[in-house]
Amino acid sequence: MDKPIRTLIRYEWKSFVRNKFQLFMLSVILIFGLYAIYSGQSEINMQRETIQEVTALEQEEFSKYKASYDEEVRSLEEEQLHDIASRPSFAWFRHGYHAIIPPHDYASLAIGQRDLFRYYYRLTGMSLHYQLFENELANPVNLMIGNFDLSFVLVYLLPLLIIAFCYGLFSYEKENGTLALLQIQSISIRKIILVRLAFYFLMLTCLALLISLIGLLTSGNPLTVENLVPAVAWMTGVMIYCAFWFAMMFLIVSLRKSSSFNAITAVACWLLLLIIIPAVLNVIVTAKYPLNSTTLAGLTRRTGLEDEEQEEAVREVILEYLAHKPDLEGSDSLIQNNMMAKGYAAFTSLKDINSQNEVDQYNQQVANRNAWTGHFHWLSPAVNMQDVLAHIAETDLNTFLHFQNALADFHEKITDFYFTRLFWDQPILLEDYDELPVFEMHPSDDRWNKIWQGITKILIATVLTFLLGFYLFTLDL
Amino acid sequence: MPPLIIVAKKEIKIALREKLAVALAVIIMLLLGVALYAGFLSYQQQHVVITQTQAEKRQEWLNQGDKHPHIAAHYGTFVFKPKTVLSLFDFGLDAYTGTSIYLEAHHQHEFMFRPAQDHSSMIRFGELSAALVIKILVPLLIIFLTFASYTKERESGTLSLLISQGISFRTLTWGKILAYSTLLLVILLPFLIGLLILSIFGSHQQTMPDVTTRIVLLALIYAVYLFLFIAFSVWVSLHSSTGRNALLILLSSWIFLTILMPKTVANLSENFYDLPSIREFKAAIEKDKAYGLDGKTPRSVRIENLEKELLSKYEVDSVQQLPFNFEGVMMQRGEEYSHKVYDHHFGKIKEIFFRQNRLSSLASLINPFLSVQNLSMAFSGTDTYTFLHFEETVETYRREMIRKMNNDMAENSKYGEFFEYAAGSELWHQLEDFSYQTPPIWKSLKYYYLEFVSLLLWMVLILFLINYSNRKTKPLYG
Repeated sequence: MDKPIRTLIRYEWKSFVRNKFQLFMLSVILIFGLYAIYSGQSEINMQRETIQEVTALEQEEFSKYKASYDEEVRSLEEEQLHDIASRPSFAWFRHGYHAIIPPHDYASLAIGQRDLFRYYYRLTGMSLHYQLFENELANPVNLMIGNFDLSFVLVYLLPLLIIAFCYGLFSYEKENGTLALLQIQSISIRKIILVRLAFYFLMLTCLALLISLIGLLTSGNPLTVENLVPAVAWMTGVMIYCAFWFAMMFLIVSLRKSSSFNAITAVACWLLLLIIIPAVLNVIVTAKYPLNSTTLAGLTRRTGLEDEEQEEAVREVILEYLAHKPDLEGSDSLIQNNMMAKGYAAFTSLKDINSQNEVDQYNQQVANRNAWTGHFHWLSPAVNMQDVLAHIAETDLNTFLHFQNALADFHEKITDFYFTRLFWDQPILLEDYDELPVFEMHPSDDRWNKIWQGITKILIATVLTFLLGFYLFTLDL
Repeated sequence: MPPLIIVAKKEIKIALREKLAVALAVIIMLLLGVALYAGFLSYQQQHVVITQTQAEKRQEWLNQGDKHPHIAAHYGTFVFKPKTVLSLFDFGLDAYTGTSIYLEAHHQHEFMFRPAQDHSSMIRFGELSAALVIKILVPLLIIFLTFASYTKERESGTLSLLISQGISFRTLTWGKILAYSTLLLVILLPFLIGLLILSIFGSHQQTMPDVTTRIVLLALIYAVYLFLFIAFSVWVSLHSSTGRNALLILLSSWIFLTILMPKTVANLSENFYDLPSIREFKAAIEKDKAYGLDGKTPRSVRIENLEKELLSKYEVDSVQQLPFNFEGVMMQRGEEYSHKVYDHHFGKIKEIFFRQNRLSSLASLINPFLSVQNLSMAFSGTDTYTFLHFEETVETYRREMIRKMNNDMAENSKYGEFFEYAAGSELWHQLEDFSYQTPPIWKSLKYYYLEFVSLLLWMVLILFLINYSNRKTKPLYG
């Protein structure tokens, strides 16, 4: 490092240490960052507790069923319980399984849509659509205002800190009369600005990385297989996002206007990227892809067979359902016993089959919206960054759409398990409890593509902004 | 011409020369226009969808054919939340409250489908509504216009000149405040008129009868809010040595008041008062329905008690001899017991909501932004209390529906003859169609007195500060 640069850095450090306001802002950000980590973790820990509770409820339910096989002489109540445990005609709509997406270790750092969507469901063999649309309890005011998590501090507040540190880099000299002194140095004024920018870039990025690191370390071990890549992506994203705002400040400073102009322009940019662009996009997407949830509401109606006392009608419903199930076809014995239970089972399953199309269309429309807004992420690196962080923490919309599909698969497993036994008139045996359906969700393949693409987009925006600033500085304004 | 007017005129002239401020004003007007238009569009869209679907569901109910009343009570019907016409101004909680609900016997369901669930996490940045523009963006315009109002005079030396000519600080300050208020009035007035026209002529008045009063109130609180911002900014400028300092202080306050503090308060309120999960909530309800609210009177005991009560009242030996179908009465009593259980549990949830929101009301005493945010939602009918009122109206309707079904069963069917009895469209018609009206505005005001107090206090404080500074300031200060 040559001498002038060292001198520059030394003086920058001195003036930084002496500036009480800047130190105050740094500590404010640090405190907010730590509070955000704590608050995100307490939210996610509450979700973890709920998950534990519901899992415990499920285990309790099933251990009762299993225990009911042991008793020799039974009381009436035990007899009823054993019926529910062993007879498919009771069991199929009583046995409840939980489908859960456990939070990723880093979900507490970017809560995303996780407070808005259900992260657990209790499913029985009853119509899936009865069970899918119930919401978690939440205060709508708090949902509207949103979570105070680390991603908020990084995406919203960090840029403001960068603005506060950099808006006067050139104009201060001009306004204090030191500019002329700088201009007669051997080192060019552009280089001086760049060195000083680099100084603050290093400092603020280190601060952002430090807060992130604290968040990552306290939320989960970043060295495990599931956490390593997310942690690296998080740190990379934060670094590049910082770089973007520094490039932006460089661009503004390169216009060589007054401090006030710089501050106003920088805050206006912040407002544009963080409030106006997303708010406008949200309004456009709502108008462009209208969604009508009222059609789905109808699916939750608890209907039964219209004329359930007529055997012929019930028989028809069962036959119609069996036509959809090749494994269950071809035996009269499928229909004979327990006709009411079979009829009802067939009826609710048919309802699902017939309305699946509607649900799929709806979800498709949601995915369309998501894809459309994705096209405009390059407009605002802030929106992009928030999306990247939510993807890293698996709290993004895609994860929840994916969860919906996994739920449908799981529900099919449940109905298969009970309906095979129901229609073939087989009891549920104690051994069968070892092969109960289990919820699985495979991670979607393209999430990491999306994350790296998002980060790359911010990087490109950074480079372009920086080059523009560099070019403007060469002009004689 | 009085000096006050001359000062104001000069101030307006200068402001119009600031290209940046003019550009920002144009952008804000553009955004306001877009916001109102988009709000109106989505109000219309929703209105059409909801009226149509509601009518369909009504037809389904009326034409459900002959069936046992209890089956009909399970078949039930649906209610959809209408958008209030002023939601075109302030979307409020509309994206976060559920929009549809299924009404059936035995169960008080939760509202389904929060519109924000159909969006990516970008929705959390907020939606562009006219209220957002006025609450957050216009104050920024005010800051840009006013931060240099005094410092510039001071830096260029005109301040001493003005004072030496006998202009008092009082005239200067109020002249400046008057100038900026006029500018904002000119910018915002067309939109106020637009809002009035849209909501009076473009609306379907049924849901919100007192629209005009609400708009007047909205205009009033926003006027106070913006005036506070203008006066505060001029005051800061009066006290700052340089424009840069004034700007720094104003921008920091703006971010603290509009972004940072609302979020922190909401977050704290969640940490203070926990909500149960829906699974626990439902489990607790089911438990109380089965074993009684006291945990000692299970359903079977409650039925036994009812049976004894009725048998002794009508002096008969068996339920078959009662002059009505005992099952119908039993069903209705069970229903009424479940209402108690639901009221108890939903009441607890509401209590938590109240407490959480209370924190934001208290915080509004130090942050007028929060007062305006809460009041604006209240006047637009998009706040928590209007939603809860809607929820209560819907639940009353559900209870009425079930009561009609059970009573018909008690009066017209015989004990033990479930499959033999069927009611027809005459009974279905006895249930009136669902309709909803927001409560008159003065009724929801009681939840918001702290917000009013806040605006009032701030007004007094700012006026005091300005008067004090006008008297004390020396022209060569700083």
